[in-house]
Amino acid sequence: MSIAIIGVAEVPTARDPDRTRWGILREVCMGAVRDAGIDKNDVGAVISVNPMAQPDLALDMALGRIPEVLGMEGCKDICVVNAGGASTTNALRMAKYFIDNNQADYVLIPHTTIQSDIPNETLINFFATAPLDPQWEYPYGVTFNGAMGLITNRYMHDSGATMEDMAAVTVALRGWGALDEMSIFHGKPVTLDDVMNSRMVSTPLHSKECNFLADGGGALLVTRSDIAREMGKPAAYEYGHGTRFTGATPVLRSDVYFTKAYRESSQDALKGAGLSIDDMDLRQIYGAYPFTQCTALEGYGVVPEGDGYKPWAEGRCGPGGDLPCTTMGDATGRGHTGSGVSMAFYIDTVRQLRGEAGRRQVKDCEHAIISTSGGSVMNTCTTVFGRSPK
Amino acid sequence: MSDYKKPLPKIQPYSQAFWDAAKSHQLVIQTCSDCDARIFFPRQQCPKCWSENLDWMKASGKGEIYAFSVTYEGVEQPFADDLPIILAWVDLEEGIRMQTNIVDCDPDDVSIGMQVEVTFQDVTDEISLPFFRPAK
Ligand SMILES: [Zn+2]
Repeated sequence: MSIAIIGVAEVPTARDPDRTRWGILREVCMGAVRDAGIDKNDVGAVISVNPMAQPDLALDMALGRIPEVLGMEGCKDICVVNAGGASTTNALRMAKYFIDNNQADYVLIPHTTIQSDIPNETLINFFATAPLDPQWEYPYGVTFNGAMGLITNRYMHDSGATMEDMAAVTVALRGWGALDEMSIFHGKPVTLDDVMNSRMVSTPLHSKECNFLADGGGALLVTRSDIAREMGKPAAYEYGHGTRFTGATPVLRSDVYFTKAYRESSQDALKGAGLSIDDMDLRQIYGAYPFTQCTALEGYGVVPEGDGYKPWAEGRCGPGGDLPCTTMGDATGRGHTGSGVSMAFYIDTVRQLRGEAGRRQVKDCEHAIISTSGGSVMNTCTTVFGRSPK
Repeated sequence: MSDYKKPLPKIQPYSQAFWDAAKSHQLVIQTCSDCDARIFFPRQQCPKCWSENLDWMKASGKGEIYAFSVTYEGVEQPFADDLPIILAWVDLEEGIRMQTNIVDCDPDDVSIGMQVEVTFQDVTDEISLPFFRPAK
């Protein structure tokens, strides 16, 4: 049995002290149920995306507060899933379990993150320690930006990409973000010069190529594909899925750029879908750092290995290009909401397949391929979605 | 030495030998006595064959830079005085890759493929951290 996403809701990514965690949670949960057009009591399970660095909210979610507060009388069970940035993917997998076992016809997957009330030093500490080894990396002043700078630098060495080529990725991602009311960078595109002239953080990454931490939230409402078909509304039908683990610690990985993981996970997903990469109208890549936008295209087989930066540098992947990629903007073009970036990726994919992406709408978007990751890209979780029942 | 404010490595019982050797300015690598694997970082079992029959070998301390990144900002406060910090992945002659810092080197001079050698800094009475510098 396959699943379909029939409802979405989200709040804009922002740093807005007037919003509370439960305020956002309430809004997106009710929003996704209403968007799906079902009754709240039809929700058979609530599978929450673990909020990073927010232990109180994580506990609320883990111990069943959401269906209780919202009076979801048909809810049979709840849980929280945590795989860092890949948590939403795992929530979808868990939803499939409930649906396949006839425990639920409708599953709600919510996420909320507020980082603006967490002291900056605490956030730096969290993002320095959470994905990094406390013995072999942390004592050397490694940060997330530093680790990804290392990989980007080597990628440029191997591929021949220049700093300007890499900066073009951010120009495209911010281009998408500028057109998206949900982005913290709505109405704020950047030029190549803006990126190149922004502060150097960890070579070759300028500040505009690094993540800007923000608050946000979103929710998905998932059902069985045959129920979605009977409802007769546009939806995101899951066609195929594949996944690969690359390792927890960046320095120890043999698949340094995740190219192999992108290749193998996408081949599994496309095989499940019975489609080829050329059938995809949209590629949505959640890697949080610009080089992943390049290496994913190499892994997918869109371009030869080492050429992934070229379509970005040529302007083909951003707004108006013939190879639209990552219309969600990734963390660079959207703002980083902890484990919420992947939630926003799925929501944007649903919008594209339903034809509701506004100025970012990919023409005749019938099929999309999406990859999410957790940790410092410890895995690549790749899914093919289609707008019609498979 | 006890005023060292930066994070110290969280040493495990099974990595103690590495840090004991580091204290006497010797770089060592964990090895598997059953399958000859060279293991980094140290573990309680060989990741290749799950043998617990583990030993240590002396490393030459020589290697080359696989990747580097010069960090100018965004570090925790205790590292702020050290900026810019040259982060590097160094491939040791013995076939393992380590995360480290390059020291005694101008950030503009560091390059991929640069030959480097280990150098230890005694950061506390108990801990000496292995860094790398351009090979002489
Ligand atoms: Zn072994």
